[in-house]
Amino acid sequence: MSFLSLQVNEVGKQVLMTGNEAVARAAIEAGVSYASSYPGSPSSEILGNLGKLAKQHNLYAEWSTNEKVALEGAAAASFAGVRAICIVKPDGLNVAFDTLKSLTSSGTKGGLVLVVSDDPSAHSSTNEEDSRYLEKVAHMPILEPSTPQEAKDMTVAAFDLSEKVKLPVCIRSVTRICHASGNVTIGPVNKSIKQPVMGPEDRFVTNILFHAVQEKKLAMLAQLAEQWPFNRYQGPENARTLIITAGPGFVYAQEALSVLGVEEQVGILKLGISWPLPENFIVNHLEHADQVIFLEEIEPFNEENIMRLAAHRLEEVYPIKFYGQKSGHVSGQLGPGLGEINPDTVIRALAGILNLSYTAQPKGYGQEAASLVQNVPERELAFCAGCPHRASFWAVKSALAINGRNGVVMGDIGCYTMGLLRTGYKLLQAVLAMGSGVGLAHGLGKLDRFGFEQPVVAMVGDSTFYHAAIPALINAKYNKSNFLLVVLDNETTAMTGHQPHPGLGLNAMGDETEHMPIEKVVNGLGLPVEVYDPYDVDGTTKMVFDMLQEQGTKVLVLRRTCALVTAKKETKPKVYVDQKLCIGDECGCNRFCSRTFACPASIWDKKAQKAIIDEAVCNRCGVCVSLCPQNAIKLEGVEAGEY
Amino acid sequence: MKARYGSIALGQEVMDQGLCTGCGLCVGMCPYIKSINERVAVIHPCGKEDGNCYKICPKTLTDWVEMDNQVFGGRRQDHILGNYQKILFARTRQAHVHEKGQYGGVATSLLSLAIEKGQVDAAVATGGPAGEIPKPTVAHSREEVLACGGSHYSASPSMGAVNQAVKEGAARVAATGRPCQVLALRKMQALDGDSSHNLAANKVNFIVGLFCFWALDSAIYSFLSKQVGVKGILKVDILVDGIEITTSTGKIKIPVDKVRPYIRSTCQECFDPTSEFADVSVGSTEYDPGWNTLIVRTKKGEEMVDMAVNEGIIETKAYPEERLPMLYTAVRNKKLRVLQQKEQNTARYLQLDDEYKQGIIDQGVRRV
Repeated sequence: MSFLSLQVNEVGKQVLMTGNEAVARAAIEAGVSYASSYPGSPSSEILGNLGKLAKQHNLYAEWSTNEKVALEGAAAASFAGVRAICIVKPDGLNVAFDTLKSLTSSGTKGGLVLVVSDDPSAHSSTNEEDSRYLEKVAHMPILEPSTPQEAKDMTVAAFDLSEKVKLPVCIRSVTRICHASGNVTIGPVNKSIKQPVMGPEDRFVTNILFHAVQEKKLAMLAQLAEQWPFNRYQGPENARTLIITAGPGFVYAQEALSVLGVEEQVGILKLGISWPLPENFIVNHLEHADQVIFLEEIEPFNEENIMRLAAHRLEEVYPIKFYGQKSGHVSGQLGPGLGEINPDTVIRALAGILNLSYTAQPKGYGQEAASLVQNVPERELAFCAGCPHRASFWAVKSALAINGRNGVVMGDIGCYTMGLLRTGYKLLQAVLAMGSGVGLAHGLGKLDRFGFEQPVVAMVGDSTFYHAAIPALINAKYNKSNFLLVVLDNETTAMTGHQPHPGLGLNAMGDETEHMPIEKVVNGLGLPVEVYDPYDVDGTTKMVFDMLQEQGTKVLVLRRTCALVTAKKETKPKVYVDQKLCIGDECGCNRFCSRTFACPASIWDKKAQKAIIDEAVCNRCGVCVSLCPQNAIKLEGVEAGEY
Repeated sequence: MKARYGSIALGQEVMDQGLCTGCGLCVGMCPYIKSINERVAVIHPCGKEDGNCYKICPKTLTDWVEMDNQVFGGRRQDHILGNYQKILFARTRQAHVHEKGQYGGVATSLLSLAIEKGQVDAAVATGGPAGEIPKPTVAHSREEVLACGGSHYSASPSMGAVNQAVKEGAARVAATGRPCQVLALRKMQALDGDSSHNLAANKVNFIVGLFCFWALDSAIYSFLSKQVGVKGILKVDILVDGIEITTSTGKIKIPVDKVRPYIRSTCQECFDPTSEFADVSVGSTEYDPGWNTLIVRTKKGEEMVDMAVNEGIIETKAYPEERLPMLYTAVRNKKLRVLQQKEQNTARYLQLDDEYKQGIIDQGVRRV
């Protein structure tokens, strides 16, 4: 599983790829000219890989500053007749949705594929969203791949479909497709790349009249869906029990039937297109079924659409019984309509509905698992060792405490969202969406006329600043708001895997660009701005304290490169605890380093009852050296005061 | 969280009540108490049920009789000025100190002597330009002490610099501070914690206390700079009838009523305007700006004053008998006000026995 798999160009060869790599390969095979995205898990690797492949395959790839701009760039390429791909996660789809809703009305020209990677159970998201509802509102087709191979094949086919109906086509992926690996057969690369051109007849506008066109296109798509090659029925002819699924649910269903030994009894109807529905294909199978089990992740999207279809064509399918999330029979660990499903979900559902006895776990499994779990080291959701955010949060917390007016902090989306948790001293009182913290801070900053006297701070990351903070900052300046924006500038998009952004002077294809320091942007808005190093905790505390004394909107850039980036590049002196100086449990630090400041590299030496540094974890930032009240934490070879 | 005598209690009982004197001794003792611009705050609950921060605070329970026992080995005879050996007029004989210092320059000379004679490794004082928020300072040389000469009238949390000096390796420290700061140092010295604990005050071996009837909030500095405009402030002096600011172009007087709103509320509960637990106490004479009042209290104080006189660094003369009643009246009035507050159930930190209470009432009458 690596970039190497994408270097293979031998047609017919099977290569192990993740779903994300398979989609990138599909874009190459489909002859994509334009690729754009804003980093977002679980699909960040698609554009990252396309950026690396750009020169070799003569395509353009960019990390856009946000998803709306990304989609607009891809749409323009499509308008000019070339193929384009845009990759987002559901939160990004929300950002791009304004454009998308119009784009399906205006129509497209060159094949345009919008990859939306949902994150059931929100493994790497702040919330869980089933994007299919939005895609349905946008009047666009939704394709749900079940395996990496299908992710590649469907994506290639999606470009053709897009060109046929002149609409963007959605590939709805999920985390377990994006990150799972499977064998993928390499296909030929489309070499017939068109020259982009906007002819005089090429018009892409929206109008009420085009709503009817959209509906016509959906009707045409519904016809095409009947023959769509990724729909499949598997199982006995005229099975009375039918599972209807799409995406990875298909694989889970196959496994479940095999485990229960009911392959001859239960049929699986796999949708290769979830919207619009291949209605006749579905009704044909509903006709022979007594009971249907819907299997899908997050919300009951297909379940609702198909039950509505069944209601429309009741005389053809009656009698029939439906089981799914709505009936409570299909439920992941978190409950129906929440989070991921897995083969166990299917087994439990089937065993209940078909009245089969099945013991998923051998006797004593629970006890054995509990005993093994004790051996797993506890890993808290926390900032990495040496993370500059930890120092920044401690400084902001300190400054607000000394200020003593119950300051409130609005958070945002990035690594620093963890400021909600112990690792950020639970400082963040609101986290909504990219850039929202700045808008929220603005709102609080305008409540002074009603007697709101608490100081207000917003904390955003550097990438988030470029993505969505700037309009909110302009609004704050325009409307004379009163808050401090702290930009945690770690000089990378750290949360999603260190993608570059406009502050770095580097683009997705590795080319140098002119970098745009945040302070210059803020200066351009006519707002006061300071830049400081968060590793100097006392200085940062004073800076935040002083800036909070000033009225108006002001910006503090706390700049320190992500510790994971520097750890790879720089050799720094080792950090160690002089246990002779550490006072252990005596008053008054009470294990400040390992318990309160809680850097994962600061741990407790149970034998010595003193602090100790976990060298394997420590990134040698030295912040704990400056914070230890006993001077017990030292830098090897560095005298106190020199660091 | 249970923390009856820890940092949470300190925050609730002292800081939240506006009782923090800004002595600063808890600042930097641990990582949880910090200060900026003379505001001291507990930034995070350490979780300890008992904390030295609470025990050393001059505004948590303080038994005055116990303090006398600890510092002087017995009860006091003088219930107004506390324990002392002699009370003098004194002034520096060092011209450069006289220029920089306030009044007689005795505090500056004594600290400077302690460093020069190798009595201490570092001296803690309050520095920074007049007219600006002062900076707690660790001085290691005569020049650095001299740079701290001159009074500051806001409550600089300068005892945080004691913790800093010890953290930086000083084994013997001299400190000068307001009465509340002296009290905090003495309370810290009384702690019998684990010997491994780095109690900074145990390394303080010479304390020069200052006279202080009240201190001002740091907001006074922006007020003062507004009063004088662009002219730089060279010196600030508090007189009976107000504040006198010396600038490059002359002197400006601000009436006391304009300054009064900046007095820290906690100073109203202060029972000790003359640094009763210091080795020596230094104040103005309210009479002759060239001289200080010098109260020699402990044996250590006596040694240092004798050394300074013998070295020709300071000179002393008898305290004019006729001026004593004025000093007694001022101090006694302040103490009587606090006794009154105690009857109204404020000034709760102060513990006195009946003899001490009665002594203030009786002795005052006798002396005046």
